[in-house]
Amino acid sequence: MPTSPSSTSVGSGRAAAGGKSPVKGASGVRQRKPTGGGAGGAAPRVGSAGAATSWRFFTEDSPGFKVEPVPVLVMSIIYIVAIFLLHLWGKYSRG
Amino acid sequence: MTPRDRPPDHGHWATGYQTHVRYAFVPEIAKPERKVQFREKLLWTAITLFVFLVCCQIPLFGILSSDSADPFYWLRVIMASNRGTLMELGINPIVTSSLIMQVLAGAKIIEVGDSPKERALFNGAQKLFGIIMTAGQAIAYMLTGMYGNPSDLGTGICALIVIQLVIAGVIVMLLDELLQKGYGLGSGISLFIATNICETIVWKSFSPATINTGRGTEFEGAVIALFHLLATRSDKVRALREALYRNNLPNMMNLFATIFVFCIVIYFQGFRVDLPIKSARYRGQTTSYPIKLFYTSNMPIILQSALVSNFYVISQMLSLRFRDNIFINLLGRWENYEGGGPARAYPVGGLCYYLSPPDTTAHIISDPMHAVCYIVFMLTSCAVFSKLWIDISGSSAKDVAKQLKEQQMVMRGHREKSMIHELNRYIPTAAAFGGLCIGALSVLADFMGAIGSGTGILLAVSIIYQYFETFVKEQSEQGGMSTMLF
Repeated sequence: MPTSPSSTSVGSGRAAAGGKSPVKGASGVRQRKPTGGGAGGAAPRVGSAGAATSWRFFTEDSPGFKVEPVPVLVMSIIYIVAIFLLHLWGKYSRG
Repeated sequence: MTPRDRPPDHGHWATGYQTHVRYAFVPEIAKPERKVQFREKLLWTAITLFVFLVCCQIPLFGILSSDSADPFYWLRVIMASNRGTLMELGINPIVTSSLIMQVLAGAKIIEVGDSPKERALFNGAQKLFGIIMTAGQAIAYMLTGMYGNPSDLGTGICALIVIQLVIAGVIVMLLDELLQKGYGLGSGISLFIATNICETIVWKSFSPATINTGRGTEFEGAVIALFHLLATRSDKVRALREALYRNNLPNMMNLFATIFVFCIVIYFQGFRVDLPIKSARYRGQTTSYPIKLFYTSNMPIILQSALVSNFYVISQMLSLRFRDNIFINLLGRWENYEGGGPARAYPVGGLCYYLSPPDTTAHIISDPMHAVCYIVFMLTSCAVFSKLWIDISGSSAKDVAKQLKEQQMVMRGHREKSMIHELNRYIPTAAAFGGLCIGALSVLADFMGAIGSGTGILLAVSIIYQYFETFVKEQSEQGGMSTMLF
């Protein structure tokens, strides 16, 4: 039966089937979130076309010490201010 | 699992036992513990962008000169770097190091297993390599005398410059990771590239800077110049023609070409083949798997420009040192150009010349060989890189079939084996042809003189389109636009 693409989506289909799937359906790194049934009439998107198009390098966990985002922000601001102060110091110590 | 499948942990440079010690100083963003709201994501994206833009404006401390011809002019737009500022290196070291690592892994020179631990170690190695690359490039820039003669600067200042550049590199890396880990939208790298290119386009259209040409003072910005010329010149027709076609500075035709290319790329983004698939478990649940014409999106362009720009830099450095060597000249001869805009070096002979886009239409006619070489090179390299990328990124027919199987979906009228076969009919073709189209569009943009170079505008458009898609996805997840923003 030909269904219109917006009526169902692969993602939700998998979510429904995932519970009792004999295949290792729950162990994938590539698992996708179930997408809502074709939002706004757009055709549902599945698959690793996303993996091909994205420009991502550091998505997965890597060893090293963890930082929260706020310290990163504070660090960058401190760095910028430090460079500012260096410039000021350079200006007054020279002239 | 056979021993062959699993490389031993020791004796492997990226996956040794001691690696946790080696990577201990590589900082890493913690994953968000809860779901980050869309507004918070927007906020983090804005903050990231703000930090980046501020870094783009602050000059490096301690540099003496930065008014010689810019040797890295070709890199600037694509690598989001700004001359003489903290973002001197931009994202170049990160992109280059990641590309090298990804290509090595894709070509199975470095073996990376599927286990999370190995992938994590690979990522750590990639980051560490990025930091080393940043330091290396910073030292190389400093030693070439870009900021003044190193002996004039003194050791202390030299070290300070390198330290500034390395810290800036680490900050860019962390900001990129911050966005990717789910605190923000998209990735930092693409955000920075797109911002830089859009900045160039806006600046070239509306720049209020004046430049004294032979025929009086002219504004740099195309739109401003149009009004200025129309207002001041007595012969309105000639003024209009001047604004439309002036050679040395951005003109209105460049702006129109930019808009035109923008529209074409957006139009092509919608081209795709829909393969019908259905659920293996539930009858009647059918949907389609779209294979886009731009299957690999902007990746061929990124790979290609990273390769070419690194090649340019090497050729340029060599030709500075050994000006009279015949082989170096075969690689590329460079001359400095000081017309409108910033001083820059450009290739006038050798291989680099034939790989660079022709400047003007007149140039295409006077040296058609150059144009032909450029077109052939762009098209083939984009197609080849596109085909390479589907294997590197794990989106080849085999991977897609595996993924569909994980999702319990099959193609209508096909078994698993024939499904791979069927996907193989489309995916490599889409990749190669899509890469070819991307290359052709880039050439077209270059020939029409789009602002920010063909590669630049193509990158910008595809990144903006990706952001648009992200927005739509977030919107569908979190309800209407109004609840999202207000």
